[in-house]
Amino acid sequence: MSLKRKTAVIGTAILAQPGDDPRSLEELLYDVVQDALRDADLTIEDIDGIVVGSNDQFDGRAISIMAASGSVGGVDRDILSTPSASEHALVMATLRIASGLYETHLIVSWSTTEASSLSEAQRLGADPYFHRRLPLDENAGTALQANVMASSVPGLNDLAAKLAANTRSNGARTRSSVSLKGGALGKLPYPLTDEMVTAPVTGAVAMVIASEDYVAENNLTGVAWINGMGWATETGYLGDRNLNEALALEVARDRAYGEAGLTSPLTQIDVAELTDVSPYQELMVSDVLGLSARADWETDVASGLFSADSNLPVNPSGGVLCFNPVFCTGLIRIAEAANQIRGCAGKHQVSGAKTALAHAASGFAMMYQCVLILGAEPTGEIA
Amino acid sequence: MKAPRVGIIGIGQSVFTRRRDDASYPDLVREAVVLAMTQCGLDFDAIDGTVYSLSPDAMVGIGNAERLGVDAVGGRYKPFLRINTGGATGISSVAAAYYHVASGACDVVLTAGADKVGECGDSQTVLNKIWDPIYERPLPQGTITMLAMSGVRYQQKYGMTQEDMARVVVKNRYHASLNSNAHLRKEVTVEDVMASRHISWPIKLMDCCPQSSGGGAMVLASEAFIKANKLDAVWITGVGHCSETYYLGDRMGKGQLADHADAYALSKSIRRSYQMAGITNPQKEIDVAELYAPFSNTEFHSIEAAGLAEIGTAVPQLNEGRYTIGGDIPVNPSGGTLCTNAIAVTAMIRVAEVALQVWGKAGAHQVKGAQRGVASGNGGDHQFFGTMIVES
Repeated sequence: MSLKRKTAVIGTAILAQPGDDPRSLEELLYDVVQDALRDADLTIEDIDGIVVGSNDQFDGRAISIMAASGSVGGVDRDILSTPSASEHALVMATLRIASGLYETHLIVSWSTTEASSLSEAQRLGADPYFHRRLPLDENAGTALQANVMASSVPGLNDLAAKLAANTRSNGARTRSSVSLKGGALGKLPYPLTDEMVTAPVTGAVAMVIASEDYVAENNLTGVAWINGMGWATETGYLGDRNLNEALALEVARDRAYGEAGLTSPLTQIDVAELTDVSPYQELMVSDVLGLSARADWETDVASGLFSADSNLPVNPSGGVLCFNPVFCTGLIRIAEAANQIRGCAGKHQVSGAKTALAHAASGFAMMYQCVLILGAEPTGEIA
Repeated sequence: MKAPRVGIIGIGQSVFTRRRDDASYPDLVREAVVLAMTQCGLDFDAIDGTVYSLSPDAMVGIGNAERLGVDAVGGRYKPFLRINTGGATGISSVAAAYYHVASGACDVVLTAGADKVGECGDSQTVLNKIWDPIYERPLPQGTITMLAMSGVRYQQKYGMTQEDMARVVVKNRYHASLNSNAHLRKEVTVEDVMASRHISWPIKLMDCCPQSSGGGAMVLASEAFIKANKLDAVWITGVGHCSETYYLGDRMGKGQLADHADAYALSKSIRRSYQMAGITNPQKEIDVAELYAPFSNTEFHSIEAAGLAEIGTAVPQLNEGRYTIGGDIPVNPSGGTLCTNAIAVTAMIRVAEVALQVWGKAGAHQVKGAQRGVASGNGGDHQFFGTMIVES
């Protein structure tokens, strides 16, 4: 089924908090929301509804959305929260606009590093009877998946290291204030290395979206149309999954590509932002999304397929590898892809980008999968 | 753009009780899902997506516990997301499911969840952690003390007494005695309530909701699907949400943004729902109400916010029986939140109970001839409000 009307991204803001920045969480949220509203040339009075994605364990607040009420402009306004994933906030807001009951929406997500141990906070997500005693944080889930992949692809560990270097090279063009050195907080599980992941930082992202009717009535230009959107989940138990495949991603892909009328991703997509929780996952996602088949990984990585100068730049922003506010990295991928279409991606702008692919993943070993196709023009099933 | 009609075709709820040692957390979710799926007669292949209803993770002691519920709701390889607006989560989840259908994304959507509040140790210790760690958490603030302050203010403004509060308990316990799914089903007297110990003045033990365990599930579908498959349904015709401030201090004293005695954002949310449903005179047009009121005093301002009484006039009307089954507009004929509170699904049960009423399937607590009802949910620190109109 397709949505009943189109939605477009009309404003974004991505905020990284340097270590010496004294702003409180509420101040950060206020600032990132105001930046996104300015980018959309709107005020909070123009916003019909808000959807927030945040994580209670990372924030140390039992209902973390509560803190957002004032600072994101939620007082006297309509707020929903999707704590399952930051990208789910975008999905929910898009559905609300497509329903015809809202014309505009603000989407906000953030991730802090104030928890004494993010690893311990993540381990609370494991089943309390069977898995909690395992050291199962998100890096462990990523590493388990990497090992399964490596067992079926000879030389994958070397390939992953090369891909990570390529992505860091992309990130080095655009990021100056964020560490590009890599590394994690604590010891990494094999086969992950310091070069393949980056320590979590505090960050926030806000997006403003509007209905096709609102875009037309206000003569908005330079917007990024959401032409396809798919989302799906794996089961919660890692033991019940074959980590060498991503069936939920296939479901999300089919829906998004189908809605957008995308049949040849390699030729139709100008730029992609993938959630590279590690280069192993980036490769798996590239395969499922039709960007680089498994059999071609070695030659594709060697030829720089994913570099910012290639025909299909992947993660020109540097991806999660260069900026890792853990919980909101998925929504940041979508904002980055939208910025490419809107021509406001800054130093990592891909010239002439008309169609962008955004992929978001959350949970252990990419449990939640989300795919968006953004375009400079409304295309697809209801265009 | 006219909002499309979305129908409710299946409802499942546990027999709520304090503890469910016989069932794991996902088991409780599954229990409600099976009941809802059985009622609508569909199998899981017909479900296009799921909205998972879960409020604070800390209540079940599992981070992002919705992940462990994916298979309980048959969600694997399908669209799935979780909603959390605190105590309003249940009604927000039904609303989110509504948007899944109304947007055209799905024909049939399941929303489900469960809670084990009675097994969490002490819910107030968990709920203290919703507040700002610097300013309000150390007071110590809890949802009882929070709404005791509202009660004090309501007493001062409108003359409510503790006996008036007790009469809300008497009414709702009577209603719950007729509802086989309710947690607290023993009838009580005003004297019983007055004799119970104070928890946070003027709220006494029997003025408080219980800590309940159990699950809830609902199946929603598009009008086209319902007609094509000749399914029985009732219809969601109004949906609203509205929020208040985070800091309670912003609802008190000089410069207040809203008065803590009243439920300003609830009234605004309900007005949005009424407007969408075309309701202009709720006292004439609403037959039944399920209003989220976890403490007896809060039922009064909820009734007023729903427009079922003018501001400050709910007390005498409740005392005269207007909101009792058999009265003009029964409020919480299920016994309400005051008699059952499994937080993650409590507000969903409000919608489900209104749906059962307008469907004529509410059993012993059926309100005769109910055609149209209003449901509400409150979450956060009396901060997030969701409301819904359901019609036959």
